[in-house]
Amino acid sequence: MLPEIQYLSPTTVDEALNMLYENKNARILAGGTDLLIELKKLPINENVTLIDISKINELKYIEDEGDFISIGPLITHQELSRNEFIKKWFPFLSTACSSIGSPQIRSRGTIGGNICNGSPAADTPPVLVALDATVTLKNKDGERELLVSDFIIAPYKTERKPSELLTKIRLRKLIPGYGFSFIKLGRRNALAISRMNIAVAMLVKEGVIEDVRIACGSVFPTTMRVPAAENFLAGKKPSIELFKDVGEIVSNEMVRISGYRWSTPYKKPVISAMVKNSLVEAVGRRVI
Amino acid sequence: MSAWAVGKRTPRIDSIGKVTGKAIYADDIKLPGMLYGKVVRTKYPHAKILNIDISEAKRVKGVEAVLTAKDIPGVNRVGVAITKDQPIIADDKVRYMGDALAIIAAHDLRTAQFAASLIKVEYEVLPVIEDPEEALFEASVKIHDKGNLICHHKVRKGNIDAGFSEADIIVERKFETQMVEHSYIEPESAIAEPLDDGGVRVFGCMQNIYTSRRILAQVLNLPMNKVVCVQTTMGGSFGGKDDAMNILACRVALLALATGKPVKITYTRDESMIDSYKRHPYKMYYRVGLKNDGTITAAEIKIYANGGAYASMSEFVTWRSVVHATGPYRIPNVSTDIYAAYTNLNYTGAMRGFGSPQIALAYETLMDECAEKLGIHPYEIRKKNLLRTGDTTATGQVLDGKVSLNEVVDAVCEASDFINKYTEYKNNRARPGIRKRGIGLACSYRGVSLGAEGVDYGTCFLKLEEDGTLIISIGITDMGQGARTVQAQFAAEILGLTLDRISVLDINTSRAPDSGPTVASRGTLISGNAITNAAQKIRRNLELACEQLIGKTSSGFIFENNMIINPENGRAVSIKDAAAKAIKMRLPIHAEGFYPAPQTSWDEATGQGLAYFTYVYGANVAEVEVDMETGKVNVLKVWASHEVGKAVNPEGVEGQIYGGIAMGLGLGILEEFEFKNGVPQTTNFDEYLIPTSMDIPEIECRIVENPDPIGPFGAKSIGEPTNELAAPAILNAIFNATGKRISETPANLEVVLLGHKLKR
Repeated sequence: MLPEIQYLSPTTVDEALNMLYENKNARILAGGTDLLIELKKLPINENVTLIDISKINELKYIEDEGDFISIGPLITHQELSRNEFIKKWFPFLSTACSSIGSPQIRSRGTIGGNICNGSPAADTPPVLVALDATVTLKNKDGERELLVSDFIIAPYKTERKPSELLTKIRLRKLIPGYGFSFIKLGRRNALAISRMNIAVAMLVKEGVIEDVRIACGSVFPTTMRVPAAENFLAGKKPSIELFKDVGEIVSNEMVRISGYRWSTPYKKPVISAMVKNSLVEAVGRRVI
Repeated sequence: MSAWAVGKRTPRIDSIGKVTGKAIYADDIKLPGMLYGKVVRTKYPHAKILNIDISEAKRVKGVEAVLTAKDIPGVNRVGVAITKDQPIIADDKVRYMGDALAIIAAHDLRTAQFAASLIKVEYEVLPVIEDPEEALFEASVKIHDKGNLICHHKVRKGNIDAGFSEADIIVERKFETQMVEHSYIEPESAIAEPLDDGGVRVFGCMQNIYTSRRILAQVLNLPMNKVVCVQTTMGGSFGGKDDAMNILACRVALLALATGKPVKITYTRDESMIDSYKRHPYKMYYRVGLKNDGTITAAEIKIYANGGAYASMSEFVTWRSVVHATGPYRIPNVSTDIYAAYTNLNYTGAMRGFGSPQIALAYETLMDECAEKLGIHPYEIRKKNLLRTGDTTATGQVLDGKVSLNEVVDAVCEASDFINKYTEYKNNRARPGIRKRGIGLACSYRGVSLGAEGVDYGTCFLKLEEDGTLIISIGITDMGQGARTVQAQFAAEILGLTLDRISVLDINTSRAPDSGPTVASRGTLISGNAITNAAQKIRRNLELACEQLIGKTSSGFIFENNMIINPENGRAVSIKDAAAKAIKMRLPIHAEGFYPAPQTSWDEATGQGLAYFTYVYGANVAEVEVDMETGKVNVLKVWASHEVGKAVNPEGVEGQIYGGIAMGLGLGILEEFEFKNGVPQTTNFDEYLIPTSMDIPEIECRIVENPDPIGPFGAKSIGEPTNELAAPAILNAIFNATGKRISETPANLEVVLLGHKLKR
């Protein structure tokens, strides 16, 4: 059962920012696929203010801004997985979005919600972090833009201030020639929370790796890139042996940063294999 | 026998109401002035209750009743099998997290839930036991006064020492299975309404409403004729809506009688998961002796069943296990012991398969291990040892009916090309590759109906109306398995009616006689025989009427398509007119049907006897792909063959097979109801993972029909045998792919990759 809810339903960003300013403890409702489950765990006599932003049409857009693609936070996983701009520029974001939950969840869940919920197992952050994507946060006093990797600071914790609303996700287009991959490991083939996931973008020029980004979810306390692995690869020729070595580097980084945990005996060999496989896939999927 | 209705592919007669949303489920019912109930549960899995203070909760505006164990007029220890040990509301102790401390009725659910938060309980916390072997240690804390042993069954056949001394190899293996939730889509729901005669009527999704009524009468201290149970449309059960629903029925009835108003309780999914019983986790120690040619000489088995907090069906579940523990094999020397023990986990009871899926996991994966050790093909080792007609089972029963094991095993092996693929995939093991294929076989035999568990009979009432329509009233219920459709088919077959002329009544304990519980895959056989018996009586009277209407015949009238035909002169009359004529002749066109099942026998001291009056036989082959780097198993296809006697509704048989395999897949590789110090951790479907449509493979069915003289038109059963073979077939396929033997379930990512579970 839900707690006592004061329900607010703004239709413009300005209206929403005023409501956020006046209701310091308000929760923001977008698709609700995470929030409603959380609310049902609260005591029923707790008072919760919900600001339902789903009717703010100015937050539903995907725009080509030249060097960037901008995405409104209310764009659903379903929309992202089918959008032609996204398929062209960031095909691994389409892959990640189509791997989330079930058709029902993909139709309701939003990219903004996926970022702001801060789950370490979320499926869009690895792609966004690999692309150095930014989020724009607005409040009555103004706006700021920060990297997704700086925005999610701990499991289920973000940099968002109570007064702020996420209004934009911005992705810089990569130059042509990159290969992309997104691999998710779940316990079943649908409606699966990722045990681990990984996004790779890699540019190979004249037989050597010129640029590579590797970002993993559920491997480190937050989704992050693995500089040790990326630096190791830079300037080298792609090969299975090389990718296996990088897998080892990432799995060692996991233990170094996250510590040795109950799940480490499983996760260590598996993340290593996932790194190798995602690099192989990225080489094979180069857009030339 | 000419088949007019029996054996035809028949759409379910209840399907339109369900798919159009018109079917009325318990939670859809709203009665005038109805209150909403709430169960207040314990905070600790094992504790003495020192004091319960309900005063503050009672003062909340809108609360009409707050009841504790003290307010129960009758008995407060109930059970569905032999031991009666479960309280409707806990009094002296709590023994698992589902135990109730109080029940509340209020004008709305929010008020009831708020009042629940005001109840203050003082506990003396006791140590928690999770493991059945540990529970039986002398020094372990006693969960019930009588100690922690629920029951011990045994089977003794031949001479076990002589058997092992004849063996060339002895294979030993420990197996562990997990706790599994039924996962019916409709959570428990019931509404009780006080009646003006002082009695009570309960609507709800009770699986076995006659058991519910018996328990209600005892708990409420009411005579049985003043307790009425009405079964609403069932949103699944799989054996799961017996004890938990009987107890919920008592809880709403207590509140209704205390307030004088109707009261409804519908559990949330989390409440359902915490409250309800599950499938028993088994710890199994198997030791098998074989000759070099694969002949089994002896089997020694010891099993510990985790019974959870209350006895429930443990006595019967483990009995079925002890009878079948050696699988469908001819073994001259057998010694089996099974113990069920109390723990502080959810109590465990009936679930589709009823003690057979666990043991099938053990004996069928062990057969493959023995085959591997002896260098024999898994197909060959089975063919060598499978029970044949005339063989003697582990319990000393001679199988004089047709034993169809060779047929079902050959059917799935041929359809799947098992013999060649097994060898090919085995040879692939050593080759490099991330994704490896494997194929696995499993087979079983299964006793039909209750067997020596209890009295077994069926009864019904059939009423032909003057317009040629028919009403069937019977206590064997439809939980989604298709019972009503086959019941209508049996009546249609004998009376020549089309299915649109037949109604099967909703079940009301005051209006249909008890036919025993709808369990043990007994519905088709028991209700079919009772309906056949009644329909034949009506048919005889219609024939007498027809002799006057269309002349006598020595070759018998034909009943078909709502008409009765005299084949000798070609004259015909509608059933409607024949019914009208019979009424004029003062011949009854209604009848009671009765079917007493054949006798069974059991000697508890030796574990020998005629355990079941007939058996069914089945086999599955599963083909899988294993990701060697992650341990992820994809089941690619399952072939299933079941000998059912006669497939009354082949579409229904296939539906049972598809569903049984889906559940078997969950048991094999996905599902686990987990605890931390007795506290359930997986109380909703975000964490308790059942297979989705994306996980369930293509399934190919091969139905085998060897009509059984005991069954109606030869029909036996199908519901449960479908649920015991997918998991061992999948585990055998994983071994075929990887060369790694898995002896615990679920074979999840960690188990497949590392060979063992990881504990948090």
